[in-house]
Amino acid sequence: MLTAIWPTQWSRQQRSNATLVSALVLMVLALSLLGWALSFLPEPIGNNAQAFSEGARTTLWLTLVSGAVGIVLGTAAALARTARFIGLRWVAGFYIWVIRGTPLLVQILFVYFALPVLVPGANLPDFAAAAVALGLNVGAYNAEAIRAGLLAVPRGQTEAARALGLSRTYVFFDVVFPQAFKISLPPLVSNFVALLKDSSLAYAIGVVELTNVGNRIQSATFQPIATLTTVAVTYLLLTTLVTQVSNAIEHRFDVEGRVK
Amino acid sequence: MSTGNHYIVVDRVCKSFGAHQVLKEVSTAFNTGEVTVIIGASGSGKSTLLRAINRLEPHDSGTITIGGAQVTDDERSLQRQRSEVGMVFQQFNLFGHMSVLDNVTLAPRRIRRTPRAQANQKAMALLRRVGMQDHALKYPWQLSGGQQQRVAIARALAMEPKVMLFDEPTSALDPEMVQEVLDVMRELARGGMTMIVVTHEMGFAREVADRVMFFDQGRIAHDAPPADFFSNPANDRIRAFIGRMSG
Repeated sequence: MLTAIWPTQWSRQQRSNATLVSALVLMVLALSLLGWALSFLPEPIGNNAQAFSEGARTTLWLTLVSGAVGIVLGTAAALARTARFIGLRWVAGFYIWVIRGTPLLVQILFVYFALPVLVPGANLPDFAAAAVALGLNVGAYNAEAIRAGLLAVPRGQTEAARALGLSRTYVFFDVVFPQAFKISLPPLVSNFVALLKDSSLAYAIGVVELTNVGNRIQSATFQPIATLTTVAVTYLLLTTLVTQVSNAIEHRFDVEGRVK
Repeated sequence: MSTGNHYIVVDRVCKSFGAHQVLKEVSTAFNTGEVTVIIGASGSGKSTLLRAINRLEPHDSGTITIGGAQVTDDERSLQRQRSEVGMVFQQFNLFGHMSVLDNVTLAPRRIRRTPRAQANQKAMALLRRVGMQDHALKYPWQLSGGQQQRVAIARALAMEPKVMLFDEPTSALDPEMVQEVLDVMRELARGGMTMIVVTHEMGFAREVADRVMFFDQGRIAHDAPPADFFSNPANDRIRAFIGRMSG
């Protein structure tokens, strides 16, 4: 835990900021130095270090883009699911039902191959198609995580805020959302880490991300152990850094000091 | 009754939860500067009336007017009315993710657009009034129930309401913390605040109220000054209730 290494006299915010900054710096460093570090390894890794490094960058980039789409979609769908207007609840329910009930691989293939047929002109390049499919997918799971957070905020909080004369917008942004977000954060992080790994399915439509790179080198060199281990360790490195970032955020929201 | 200083007028208000009718054609009026204590058994409708006044529980029929304006679902007038009617809850309902100071300043900063420095200054004055000035930077979870309730009173006062509603403010408190909250309320009443208090504290009713109202099965069964009400119970149900509560 990065949050635990700072001087104990630092405030919760200082420790959280320090963790956030160092985790982000580490992430940038890891990505920029990955190629260099791998180049010291023997064949078949050393001579393909650049390809691995570019694959890792594509994986992270794909995850960040679809993760951002997923947060926006998830928040919107969670709000729609809890809305007073039944039409909105129905649309959000349908979206979550379809996405959670079908395999991610099918969704990726669908966006890449079937969407251009259904909607003429929607010819997405492989990376964009993967980002859209992954974003739609993680959005549905995020929606349920955020909805759980929204429902966990006691009714009395809304009532007290409304009784003060605050508008619905302020009640949501000042009172409900901050408390709901804190509750939703751990499952959202799980979704994000899962997304990072699930982005490997973009391999199916030819996105040159980490898994794709590893598999190509593996089949060209007939050295599965070295190549796939490198792939796995790189994923582990990325997910570890992502978890540090989320720990820092969780620490910041933890006014009650309950996160150990 | 004259309509001169009636601030809140309740006229034939009905409210049902499913098949259960909680308020049955309740009519009354609350005057400026008056402290009304509402007592009655659980489920008799007293909290529901309080919650109907600021529309946390919309009534089914009848009318409620505050300062001449009807309480309806119209968002704009509702927000204005709510900021003129302070409410204190049984469960305090402080915002758990905000410091005591931020709890008190949130509404003035958002609704009146009071600058933060000015809002803080005013909040500190209110916190001093309820004896919580030393806890301004703490979070609600660090406070006892009585302290939380005093902060909740300061939070409601921050909007400078014309009337304060108290919904069983001491019912969730340990016995030794009840007094500190009642003291603050007593001080408010002495300052001339219009108050409607739902409570089981008979001593408070006797001492502070201008008027005691007894709710029974969704109706106002009796409404009298405290001296009258307690020394001369109108019927056996009231006598029995006072006996149970004071026992």
